Amino acid sequence: MEIKRRDFVKLLGAASVATALPGCTRQQPRNLIPYVIPHEEIQPGKAVWYASVCRECPAGCGVHVRVRDGRAVKVEGNPVHPVSEGKLCSRGHAALQGLYNPDRIQQPRRKRDGRWERIDWDDVQELIADKIKELIDEGRSDSIAFINSHQTGSLDALIEEFLNTVGSTRRINYEPFGYEGVKKASDTVFNVEKIPNYKFSEARYIISFGSDFLETWMSPVKHAREFGQTRELENNRMVPFLHVGPRLSMTATNADEFIKVKPGQEYLLALGMVHTIVHENLTRGIARAQINHIRAVVEDYFPREIENRTGISFEKVEKLARTFAAANPGVAVAGNPSLDGTNNALTVAAVHLLNYVCGNIGRTVLFEQTDHLERVDSYATLNRFVRSMEQGDVSLLFIYDSNPSFTMPEVSGFNAALERVDLKIALSSYFDETSAQADIILPVNSPLESWGDYEPSNGVYGLMQPSMKPVFNTRMAGDILLSLKAKINNGDNDTSFYDYVKERWREHHQRFAPDADFEEFWVGSLANGGRFTDTQTISFQLNTGLAKQALEELKDSDPSTRDGFQLVTYPSLNHYDGRGANRPWLQEVPDPMTQMTWENWVEIHPEDAEQLGVRNGHKIEVRSSYGVIELPAYVYEGIQPGVVAIPVGQGHTEYGRYAENNGANPLQLLSASPTDTTGSIRWSGLEVSVINKREPLRIANVAGSDYQNERPFLQVVSVEELIRNSNREPKKEYPQIYDPHEYPEHRWGMTIDLNKCIGCSACVTACYSENNIPVVGKEDVRRGRELSWIQIQRFFDAREDATNGRFLPMLCQHCTAAPCEPVCPVFAAYHTPEGLNAQVYNRCIGTRYCSNNCPYKVRRFNWWDYDFPSPLNWQLNPDVTVRTKGVMEKCTFCVQRITGARQEARLEGREIRDGDVVPACQQTCPTDAIVFGDLKDPESRVNQLRERNKPRGYRVLHELNTQPAVVYLQDVVEETVDN
Amino acid sequence: MPSSYKLSYTKTDADLLNTLKSPSKGYWIALFILSIGLLIGAYGWGSQIYYGMGMSGKNNPVGWALYITTFVFWVGIAHSGTLISAILFLFRVRWRAPVYRSAEAVTVFALMVAGLFPLIHLGRPWVFYWMLPIPQMGEMFPNFKSPLVWDLFAVFTYLTVSSTFFILGMMPDVAILRDKFKGWKKKVYGLLALGWRGTDQQWRHYTAAYVFLAALATPLVISVHSIVSWDFAMSVVPGWHDTIFAPYFVAGAIHSGLAMVILLLIPMRKWFALKEYITDHHLASLAKLMIFTAFVVGFAYVIEFFMAWYGGDIYKRDVFLFRAFGTYWWSFWGLFLFNFILPMLFWSHKYRTSTFWLIFVSVGVSIGMWLERFVIIITSLSHEFNPFAWGFHELTITEVYIIIGSFSLFFFLFLVFSKILPVVSNWEVKEVIEPPRKK
Repeated sequence: MEIKRRDFVKLLGAASVATALPGCTRQQPRNLIPYVIPHEEIQPGKAVWYASVCRECPAGCGVHVRVRDGRAVKVEGNPVHPVSEGKLCSRGHAALQGLYNPDRIQQPRRKRDGRWERIDWDDVQELIADKIKELIDEGRSDSIAFINSHQTGSLDALIEEFLNTVGSTRRINYEPFGYEGVKKASDTVFNVEKIPNYKFSEARYIISFGSDFLETWMSPVKHAREFGQTRELENNRMVPFLHVGPRLSMTATNADEFIKVKPGQEYLLALGMVHTIVHENLTRGIARAQINHIRAVVEDYFPREIENRTGISFEKVEKLARTFAAANPGVAVAGNPSLDGTNNALTVAAVHLLNYVCGNIGRTVLFEQTDHLERVDSYATLNRFVRSMEQGDVSLLFIYDSNPSFTMPEVSGFNAALERVDLKIALSSYFDETSAQADIILPVNSPLESWGDYEPSNGVYGLMQPSMKPVFNTRMAGDILLSLKAKINNGDNDTSFYDYVKERWREHHQRFAPDADFEEFWVGSLANGGRFTDTQTISFQLNTGLAKQALEELKDSDPSTRDGFQLVTYPSLNHYDGRGANRPWLQEVPDPMTQMTWENWVEIHPEDAEQLGVRNGHKIEVRSSYGVIELPAYVYEGIQPGVVAIPVGQGHTEYGRYAENNGANPLQLLSASPTDTTGSIRWSGLEVSVINKREPLRIANVAGSDYQNERPFLQVVSVEELIRNSNREPKKEYPQIYDPHEYPEHRWGMTIDLNKCIGCSACVTACYSENNIPVVGKEDVRRGRELSWIQIQRFFDAREDATNGRFLPMLCQHCTAAPCEPVCPVFAAYHTPEGLNAQVYNRCIGTRYCSNNCPYKVRRFNWWDYDFPSPLNWQLNPDVTVRTKGVMEKCTFCVQRITGARQEARLEGREIRDGDVVPACQQTCPTDAIVFGDLKDPESRVNQLRERNKPRGYRVLHELNTQPAVVYLQDVVEETVDN
Repeated sequence: MPSSYKLSYTKTDADLLNTLKSPSKGYWIALFILSIGLLIGAYGWGSQIYYGMGMSGKNNPVGWALYITTFVFWVGIAHSGTLISAILFLFRVRWRAPVYRSAEAVTVFALMVAGLFPLIHLGRPWVFYWMLPIPQMGEMFPNFKSPLVWDLFAVFTYLTVSSTFFILGMMPDVAILRDKFKGWKKKVYGLLALGWRGTDQQWRHYTAAYVFLAALATPLVISVHSIVSWDFAMSVVPGWHDTIFAPYFVAGAIHSGLAMVILLLIPMRKWFALKEYITDHHLASLAKLMIFTAFVVGFAYVIEFFMAWYGGDIYKRDVFLFRAFGTYWWSFWGLFLFNFILPMLFWSHKYRTSTFWLIFVSVGVSIGMWLERFVIIITSLSHEFNPFAWGFHELTITEVYIIIGSFSLFFFLFLVFSKILPVVSNWEVKEVIEPPRKK
């Protein structure tokens, strides 16, 4: 994706404003008008964009923050950033609700006699510095420790520097999902403790061994983007995608074939494939000796043996192996941290071998672009640290942006150990489970208010700049550390974290543009959102010591599942490890597979459910040797019988009004001891018992039906059918009794490629953000009153031969003969000359007839006056009306963006060009499934796409003759084996 | 004319005055209870206006629910009055005379109550007048393509005609009251009597106008309920979009109207000692008519199912299967039982002459007809085209309040009417009895 010149100028301007900002950050703002004297770049009513980095998960997508009148109102992907390329996920959008969270800690607090009281920044820093000095004087500086979330770049360096100053080495980089298994496997197979990056876009065949790479695994936006490219049809064929795993995750459901196995069996298929490949000499680019070496390593894994152990027929294993080897290159991925405990490292090792023998390493598996998550300390390290906390070895503990109380297994004893620490300082924005137990809370700026840089992987240097002044009396973590450092050295602090970051970028300056002026380089980098480059190749080879035994050692002990269930816990799409749970959008946007909102659940197979007498939504108790939780059951075909799965992220006891009392935290069930093989949390494989509590719960599930009941809403075709249909003409429209509408200039329309839609729901969240859609809360979602203008509808019966769920993004179809329009008694539903079904809020009296008459059911009624608790109201997009109670609303095709584009075109004295109007859903869609444009322009992308994919195009409920402006392209299932 | 009538002109006048005497204790208790019901309804509506439509149990697929159900129910009830007063008048059914006045009152009051529901169900009731054909907001007129506007016109026309018919029909009787009362009452009744003197010329004009109004009101029974049915039939909703809807609704309205008439006549003839006017024979005749209407609605139910199957439309088929076997199965089987099976009791002379069974069946039919609208509106919306959007209505206390309020309002108005205006048409009763002759 390229950046337009005009955009560049716009960004440049924004960046120069940003550089002017830090001069006044020390002043505490009393209100949110951040500029006393407005900068000339900032015009009221005109948006400015700041490039930054999303820090909602370790992926580190580049973002553009849209700022109106000094307030951040929208986050979008940065088109030049190599990770996001303009796209963003739900969690990225919800960063705004982290910034404006009404439960943010607004100033420093200190606990005295069990009560929280306010304290000045100066006093509190003095207090901490004194304590540190005291410890140093006593020679106990090593009892000062620092736990932080995954950090890279300047802040990482600063933390290191700070600890050096105080004379301690105790630092834990903690991520609950730490990818220990991948590192271990890379070490075993290749002798490098690295996490490779994967290049899906180059692959001709994709196999995922339990990796949910489209939702939470490493860098989901990047993967989804690249995956979208592989779903492009070429001569009616595309890249096949096979998923092997214990549960039908959102990633799995997008596969052309999903092979369900018990957790921990994935490696068998991989090794069986390797076995076939090396025995049939299908390898690519490796020496004979190595083939023999590998042959010896995998000699036990005959496809027949695989069939015995997994039930996958040996012919299938062989065919898969042949097809995959012939793909040249394919990509096989594995290492979902949620499978730690069930042979995860072994699976990754097997997959590394599979990629290696197929010659994929260096082509689709890039060790030269290793992911910096490899720097995260293992859970075992943290666990050891907790033991030393228990011993009283830690007197002063900093915890930054990390919530071990929630993300460590409850029996790990972290909470008890924390009590042994004299002074616990939480650098946190929120009152979460960990900071609630601190003695001092130093509220830190949200990433959107901070300077910084972030390197998700080699060669990607994202640069963060504040998009606005802090909402509250908070400071950047970097500034806090710098001033503490100065206080400890008894000096004055004359550097800000901004200076610190800038100083560090001199290094990059030398690397990227040594000849350019530094200031120019710096401002350019800010506008760009960082500096990105390709990296040099790292040479490495197969571990010569690799032997059968080495693989055996990676095996996790088999859980003794005599009559219990095997537990799988996994990061949830919306909440990840729980950090997203206080963002109301993320609570309300349904989980795409289960369509559940506002809580978590236990996935249980229908057979098991029947045996236990469990019905969907009934309360069940899950009990392990370590704890017990109660959750609603979600009876789910997609899970292996004998396995129950629970998403992580809910069940907060602290963390604000939106996070608390929703569901339960499965970490209460987990064992404290790390896995022997990888040192990670044993997320899966534990034996649990399930008890039916026989109590129906009021679950907030959005799906009215999981099945389409023979209705062709969501059409899926096989490649074979597609070829058979290739001469199909689109269905003709029926005549109308009214005169047809005339569209003098434009007729807006949309083409949605279902083959590309992965269900990630980023469009839904983007729409909430763009269009000021209120969050209604659990009770109203349960009643069916959610207000999402676009919904990712999921059906399990789109095809008879596959039980995969498929997704249908459903939004207002902007029908030409819209049933909603004639029934409105007051013309509130109105057809514009550009083909939009406009809803005139001011005119609406709320008969709801339009909604009854909408066959797509995409209209939303304001049942109440919805609340945006301050300061969440500052996120509201000033270009969009906030609706009051009693009026109907729905998708407008982002009419404000159409108007904006028209104004801009008029100012430049030209017509609107194709691509000028990009609605929020299309803008963020990682797979480019949504394309919007002018149907009157035959050259527009939206028309071209329809033209190119004629046989796949269809309109939902065509027979009603509503003549929608939205055309869907049928989803396609590719064959996973060559015949 | 049955021989049991042994009335004289003086007696009817006295009886008329008797009904307006100071009410009994029971009356006051009833009025008090109804006022509480009214207050409950007002509270329900008030809170709904204040907090929003979320106070009702509606949601995204089910945009209309109990308010529209009750609206259609009351419009149906309203037909009882016109049915008796106008249609029976045109057919010169003689026993109509003593009962038609209260039947008309039922029409007017039921319409008044019904008319509230479209307002109650509006998201923004304070701007309801945007639906009226008065130029507002930049000379905007309502959208005449919308069945809701037709509905508004139909109901208002009906209300206007039936009110006129009601007031006009009372003129000679009110004139009697004017003559019998003194003081302020005389003035009020005088105003209502519109200068009625009872001259020949006035009678001549009066009877002509009366026939004319009766002839005008009769087609309204058909048109109003046809148009109300088009609120549904003009939509694309499977289960609503049916050509049978207009006659089906009219038949249903008459069915429920008959039940309501029986329910009102029985206590009235007891309280007002009108046994001589409203005989068992009359009630039995109504019961017989009810058998007929039961067959009509029963036929409609069956033919709808037949068409759902025969038409081969999957959406419609599923809605009907959902009606019979889905979440709201009880309402479907309930309406069949109440509207069709129960009135079959009236084949037996014993049942149709027994006060208890008359009331029992009529209450049953009233419930059944309410259920019929419930089934039509709610089950269709719950199970529409898009399966992902299926959803159910969930009853809230506010809806219960408002429905209690609506029934209270209706009976409250009726009770008040019965004590201030002649519930029996004196002049028409006089027409059918022997005129006094000089001995």
